[in-house]
Amino acid sequence: MAVPLPETLATPAPPSLPSLVSSRHLRAQRLGRTLRFWVPAGFLILMLGMCFLWPLVYKLPSPTNGNIIYNNEAPFSPGHWLGTNQLGVDQFSQIVYGGQVAFEVSAATTAIGMVIGCTIGVVAGYAGGWVDAVLSRVLDVLIAFPALVLALVIAEGLGPSEIHVIIALSVFAIPAFGRVSRGATIVVRGLPFMTAARLAGTRGWRIIARHVLPNIMPGIVTFSLLGIGIVIILEGALDFLGYGIPLPKASWGSMIAQGQQIMTAQPEYVLIPSLFLLVTVVSLNMLGDALRERWGVR
Amino acid sequence: MALVQQIQLQGDSGARGSARRIAGSPVLRVVGRRLLSAIPVLIGVTFLTFAVMSTLPNDTAQAILGLQATPGQVAALNHTLGLDQPFWLQYWHWLVKVLHGNLGTTLEGGSVNHELAVHLPATLELLAYALVVSLLLAIIMAVLAARKPNGIMDRISLAISMLGLSTAPYAFAFLLIVVFAVKLPWFPVISTSLGSTPVSWFKALTLPAAAIGFGLFAIYTRLLRADIVEQMQREDYIVTAKAKGLAPWRVLIKHALRNSLFTLITVIGLNLGGLVGAVAIIETVFQVPGIGNDLLTGIGNHDLPLIEGIVLVFALVTVLGNLLADLAYAVLDPRIRYGSSTS
Amino acid sequence: MSEPLLMVDDLRVSFAMAGLEVRAVDGVSFSVDPGRSLAIIGESGSGKTVSCRALMGLLPAGTAIHGSARLRGSELIGLSDAELRKHRGSDMAMVFQDPARSLNPTMKVGAQISEAIKTHRTVGKSEAQAQTIELLRLVRIPAAERRFQEYPHQLSGGMRQRVMIAMALACRPKLLIADEATTALDVTTQAQIMELLLDLQQELGMALILISHDLGLAASYADEVVVMYAGKIVEQAPAARLFGRDGAVRMRYTRALLDAIPHLERAAHSSLPVVGGRPPDPTVRLSGCSFAPRCASAADDCRAKAPALVEHAPNHLWACWHPCENGGAA
Repeated sequence: MAVPLPETLATPAPPSLPSLVSSRHLRAQRLGRTLRFWVPAGFLILMLGMCFLWPLVYKLPSPTNGNIIYNNEAPFSPGHWLGTNQLGVDQFSQIVYGGQVAFEVSAATTAIGMVIGCTIGVVAGYAGGWVDAVLSRVLDVLIAFPALVLALVIAEGLGPSEIHVIIALSVFAIPAFGRVSRGATIVVRGLPFMTAARLAGTRGWRIIARHVLPNIMPGIVTFSLLGIGIVIILEGALDFLGYGIPLPKASWGSMIAQGQQIMTAQPEYVLIPSLFLLVTVVSLNMLGDALRERWGVR
Repeated sequence: MALVQQIQLQGDSGARGSARRIAGSPVLRVVGRRLLSAIPVLIGVTFLTFAVMSTLPNDTAQAILGLQATPGQVAALNHTLGLDQPFWLQYWHWLVKVLHGNLGTTLEGGSVNHELAVHLPATLELLAYALVVSLLLAIIMAVLAARKPNGIMDRISLAISMLGLSTAPYAFAFLLIVVFAVKLPWFPVISTSLGSTPVSWFKALTLPAAAIGFGLFAIYTRLLRADIVEQMQREDYIVTAKAKGLAPWRVLIKHALRNSLFTLITVIGLNLGGLVGAVAIIETVFQVPGIGNDLLTGIGNHDLPLIEGIVLVFALVTVLGNLLADLAYAVLDPRIRYGSSTS
Repeated sequence: MSEPLLMVDDLRVSFAMAGLEVRAVDGVSFSVDPGRSLAIIGESGSGKTVSCRALMGLLPAGTAIHGSARLRGSELIGLSDAELRKHRGSDMAMVFQDPARSLNPTMKVGAQISEAIKTHRTVGKSEAQAQTIELLRLVRIPAAERRFQEYPHQLSGGMRQRVMIAMALACRPKLLIADEATTALDVTTQAQIMELLLDLQQELGMALILISHDLGLAASYADEVVVMYAGKIVEQAPAARLFGRDGAVRMRYTRALLDAIPHLERAAHSSLPVVGGRPPDPTVRLSGCSFAPRCASAADDCRAKAPALVEHAPNHLWACWHPCENGGAA
């Protein structure tokens, strides 16, 4: 999507010039660096807490059924601090439970993508030769395969559900991780210490486990943070089209879709879920950038 | 992707020399090799689509005939439509037809070729509009930002890029509609028709293009800015350029930007494939008469030929995008185009 | 006696690194007469490159530059970048070490040279092209018209360096600085390029500053030699006085450098007297002589107080409490 193939995102933070910074400047730089990590991390922790811990502590109104008497309450009304929609469903609990879905789906998809994709990518990158050629073709096919179509088709055929969304989005995640890990493996493979390890007689699997993986991990982790954000957006897209999490179960995408009908009169029904979506993804991206900066990944 | 072998260029400049250069040229080899590897990818993608669609329970015939249809009628229609054959056979028939240029008939009876011909232009135009404008704006922003890394323009560009990367196109689309089509009635809310004048075309496609383009702009700016800053700080030829007495802007644009554009073009190509998903959704939001919209309708109807045809087009776009990325390098980078001479 | 072309007086360059001040150049003074050549010799980190880049204004922003450097009477230190640009590439030019990386790989060689011309002179495109081809011939590149259209990677290392020289000479500078210009080349090409530089110097009446770590280069091609260590000049004399059979090297560091050059006359399998240790940490300021930690003859007064650079003999300055006697091994 305009959701990019994540590996095409470059280092954003300007490389801090080591040689030209006075000590006051340096302290400001260090503060900036700390903030850039902890502010997004804090937000994410807050979001996760809000979505997963808060409902355990405090009984929220149902996110799916509402009392139509209380419909269209404005934000900050008593008992519904984000208001209710036209069916009386509490917006805040929709956000909370929608957030649960968003995080669950994106975490699962990214995990699957990482495990399977990196396996393919590392093997392809390390082995080279015809193994690489074949596996790269497979990755190419998966990348060219419009994941959206797959998601819609599966949802259409088997009915929408969280599992189906995860499966469909994994088809997108696997080749993304595959490409990145393959590229990173190839770079590491060319380094001198790898030749030394091979000459010392270390066996393939050990080399991969002890040398390749630790070296590509920073890049993979920062990439996966980016990836989670993208998957959240994609999952939202599916919900938005009606092919994701089935109604009336809450999800941010479906909130946006429902809100669009009364967008002109009451834009907050679109704005509120969009805002949460934005803050979550921005935090993920910023965290990914901060880690990249810290670990020196390019 | 191993690009090109270095070719020893015997022969001089001039017509004969350049003819010889192109014929044995690395460029053609790259193109040739890429096209060859594209075919299995295209086949793979379309085959996979067929496989998936066929294994999923479908009641196409039932849906067409309605609830009153008897099992016999359903079976008969299935047979006519060829839906009772194993999917690989169905795929084979489809493939043969495609190679003859015929993409089949939709469930409604129209020709897929016709559907595509009518709706493809709108999608392509939307894509082109979004791409070109975001690229131009990205170049301007990246150059302004790279002029003083960590300066004001730079921080602004980083902030805007971060926003662009993190917004969902469908959410952003609504913001655009609310602001620019409702509060300020500059643009139509939906764009079912592109109209016949340049102005109406422009008006109809601007908001959709902006919805897609914001994300693109973010990616391109980020990449280009990072690359330019890196060139300016790490490359020796930049020092040489400064030593010649060139003004900083000239160094930035004529030297650093020039070299950074390569990476950018590669990225644009690679990104093209992922773009089609976004285009489909935006088309739905704005009701643009393109193939993305068609696709969604087709999926709802379980219209296999139509879906296959559009998937083929999407896959072609991805493949072409990758080809473009490789090609850009081969054509534009003189190190590859000319190889090394014998001297 | 003619006015010196370049007069550098008490040049100091420092920048901040990780909160600490780094004195890359610590009070350096020298001068170059028109048409003469000066060699600045030193290890990496001695400050030789930084001083010349300071003159040209090629150091990153945020570097503190103090002192004076007058080129034909006009002061260079303290000028704004826009003003300095008028001199850069026209009055004074620089040639760099690695021609493979110092040329823009995506721009034709001819265009890069023409750019140098057009920056300082208003000439039309064809005139610039003609002048560029003339320059290519001047640096003895055969088939100049063809080379004009080629890209850097199509040329050999030696030819690329000639192109760099042609670029530097585009506006007939009065001062040419060659920063390790031959280090990246093989020995034969090195000699060719040096010969070319000397011939050009004669033809064009340029002053030449040769920056190098190679004493042999200084001996063969320079009129004056300046030896730098840890940001300061430690010895300065005409080349004839320092090298050759009656060589009168005084400062211990220079002596050590000379001794470290392998000679054919040495006994087989004898070990090379290299200079032990490492260049000093630029963030730490020693109270004594900066070479003392590595000097074989260091005494207590060496570590206590840094020797000043004094003209002990006519035209020969050195900074050492216990200099060598008459150029012999200490």
